[in-house]
Amino acid sequence: MFYKLEQTMNIIDSNILEKFSAHKSQMLDNITVPNFTFGAASLDIALSKETPNHGLPLAQLHEIHTAEPEDSSSAAALALLLAARVRMAAETTDQPITWVRDHGEARRQGRLYPPGLVELGINPDHILYIDATDSIAVLRAAADAVRCAPIGAVIVELAGKNPKGLDLTATRRLALSAKKSGVTTFMLRSKAAPMPSAAFSRWQVAAAPSKALAANAVGHPVFDLTLLRHRGGLDGLNARLEWNRETRSFQEAADISAVPAVSGIRTDHEKIRARA
Amino acid sequence: MVLMAVDREAAYLGLGPGIKLADARARVPDLKAFDHEVLADAALLEQLADACLRYTPMVSVSPPRTLLLDISGCTHFFASENALVEDAEDRFDQAGHSLSWALAGTPDAALALAHHGLREGAEAQLPVSALAMDDKTHRALERAGLYHIGDLAERPRAALVARFGSLLAVRLDRIMGIEDRPIDPIRKLANVTTERRFAEPLTHIDFAISCLEELFIEAVRQLEKRGQGARMIRMILFRCDGNIARLTIETAPATRDPALFKRLLKERIDALNDPLNPGFGYDLIRLSIVATDSLEMEQYRLEGGQDKQGDQAALVSQLSVRLGRTQVQHFMPADSHIPEQGLLALPALDSGPSKAWDKPKAGEPPLRPLHMFDPPQHIKVLAEVPDGPPYRFTWRRKVHRVSRYEGPERIASEWWQRRDGQQAGKGGLTRDYYRVEDMRGRRYWLFRHGLYGSEKANPDWYIHGLFA
Repeated sequence: MFYKLEQTMNIIDSNILEKFSAHKSQMLDNITVPNFTFGAASLDIALSKETPNHGLPLAQLHEIHTAEPEDSSSAAALALLLAARVRMAAETTDQPITWVRDHGEARRQGRLYPPGLVELGINPDHILYIDATDSIAVLRAAADAVRCAPIGAVIVELAGKNPKGLDLTATRRLALSAKKSGVTTFMLRSKAAPMPSAAFSRWQVAAAPSKALAANAVGHPVFDLTLLRHRGGLDGLNARLEWNRETRSFQEAADISAVPAVSGIRTDHEKIRARA
Repeated sequence: MVLMAVDREAAYLGLGPGIKLADARARVPDLKAFDHEVLADAALLEQLADACLRYTPMVSVSPPRTLLLDISGCTHFFASENALVEDAEDRFDQAGHSLSWALAGTPDAALALAHHGLREGAEAQLPVSALAMDDKTHRALERAGLYHIGDLAERPRAALVARFGSLLAVRLDRIMGIEDRPIDPIRKLANVTTERRFAEPLTHIDFAISCLEELFIEAVRQLEKRGQGARMIRMILFRCDGNIARLTIETAPATRDPALFKRLLKERIDALNDPLNPGFGYDLIRLSIVATDSLEMEQYRLEGGQDKQGDQAALVSQLSVRLGRTQVQHFMPADSHIPEQGLLALPALDSGPSKAWDKPKAGEPPLRPLHMFDPPQHIKVLAEVPDGPPYRFTWRRKVHRVSRYEGPERIASEWWQRRDGQQAGKGGLTRDYYRVEDMRGRRYWLFRHGLYGSEKANPDWYIHGLFA
């Protein structure tokens, strides 16, 4: 009888040990990975530079540029989708995304359209939209929003070659506040003059042809991303990503027939644009 | 052209309101005449009413020249009611206005006495025109031998009512002080008001600000007893020369926190268009809590840590005070199929319950654009008639060739809004929307405005939005 009991206890012990070790390795994987990912595995791994921290770090300032102002909708969409991924990674999906925009820019490039946000998979109730009068007001409001810890993410939009008030000091202040409060900040710039900045990473975005659906219909949104600057020393990363609303993640865009075949991820060693 | 008002010198020379300008000029050749600006007079009267807020919050304006102040219970700073009136007279005199005043128990009595230059108790000597009824009634009263209010008061009421109507009795009661009526104050009354008077007017803004902070702490003590927090705080700074400066602060969470108040006050003062100018000094500073909300004792989380909701709401209040309440927005779903109605954005301070948004269809690409132009921008399009998709379009002087398209999505106008019912062609035109992608890869939302032939001979095309 005791032998039976001992056997049972051994079985129980081994089960517990199995589960415990599995859980432990899982816990080790989750320890200190304060990053958010795109969801496209090859890009995330390329960004991590052989470390287990895939993707981009949270609580930092990231810049998103566009070469031409017509791509500003793509840039805005990318910032929004990355902000959603930030909130998923940091598990702060109940905290709002603060969007600070210049009033004149809203008139020129179009106002933010809430049903469009829904179509991208974002709940418009989670957006706090701030309509500021000029670039200095935008920067001030953004600084206040970044300092407020229970905010999911902040998106700041500044257009123009040299908006008033934007300089290295301003970006450094934003970056420091972001680090202190843990709020990831995205700065959208369009037609920017090359300028030193304290951002962790700088991306350039353009719209890319989508994968056609039935009857040559417009497909899901596709973005052409280029990494211009990265504090870890990476640059020249190139990716073409498609947003999948159901999984709420990016995935590499399959080859599109209208464009000559381009591989998904490329690491260029030639400098694409003069770095600031 | 008739004289509306004359100054003292002209009055000495025998001119008065009601005299024709030509007659007046004939009497006094070098008469200076100015146009009567009704609006400017009304604005001045409102300014004087604001200055009178220092005595009582119940100030009512009776154009063109009358102010009614309800000073019941407001005379504790003065020796007597008469002393209050004398103080007011002094201030008006200093500002250059001459005043004729009267104190009475009811507003109508006071009005009538002031108009005719009499004092309390002399209602009987008022002429019957003080009843402010139509001329016919006045002449009828005079013909009946009733020239003064006193005569009317002696007569039996039933006979008067039978002859002249019940309105006469009501007016008579009001003037005699038998019936009271409430006056309509120009400013809404506050829940809690605290104020401070200074024998030596404050000439420095910083002292005024610290005084306001102390007043807030006092006011908040009262709110705490009721379990409420302040949502709208109104502050008035009275200068000794009659000018007043008004500041209003609105917060998203009901608050009793002096630190938050201090921050918001600083934002408010920084955001003023004209900086605060104390002039010769502020001699009265008043803080009123106009709107409140219930606020229980501060809840602290069991695990410690900040109150997250409070921080977010404080950010919203701060930015609303600095930029304006309508510049900090939350989006609300609109109950309409018209696309531009979806741009509805309400101030974040008015946190109302939000309805559910429509869920997108699984597997479909985005059907609505991220950015929308308000109003839509006109473009030139090459398309097959009558209802072919766009083949090529020109926008902002650039030509785009369409490589992919989806559509049309027909969005008709709200036919029930048309003025003439369901008549075709009246009201809004039908729009056929297309989602197009050009060779470069950018995605647009275009529409044809009006059906070819039936609604419009040559429909225009517009770009309404941009997709990601």
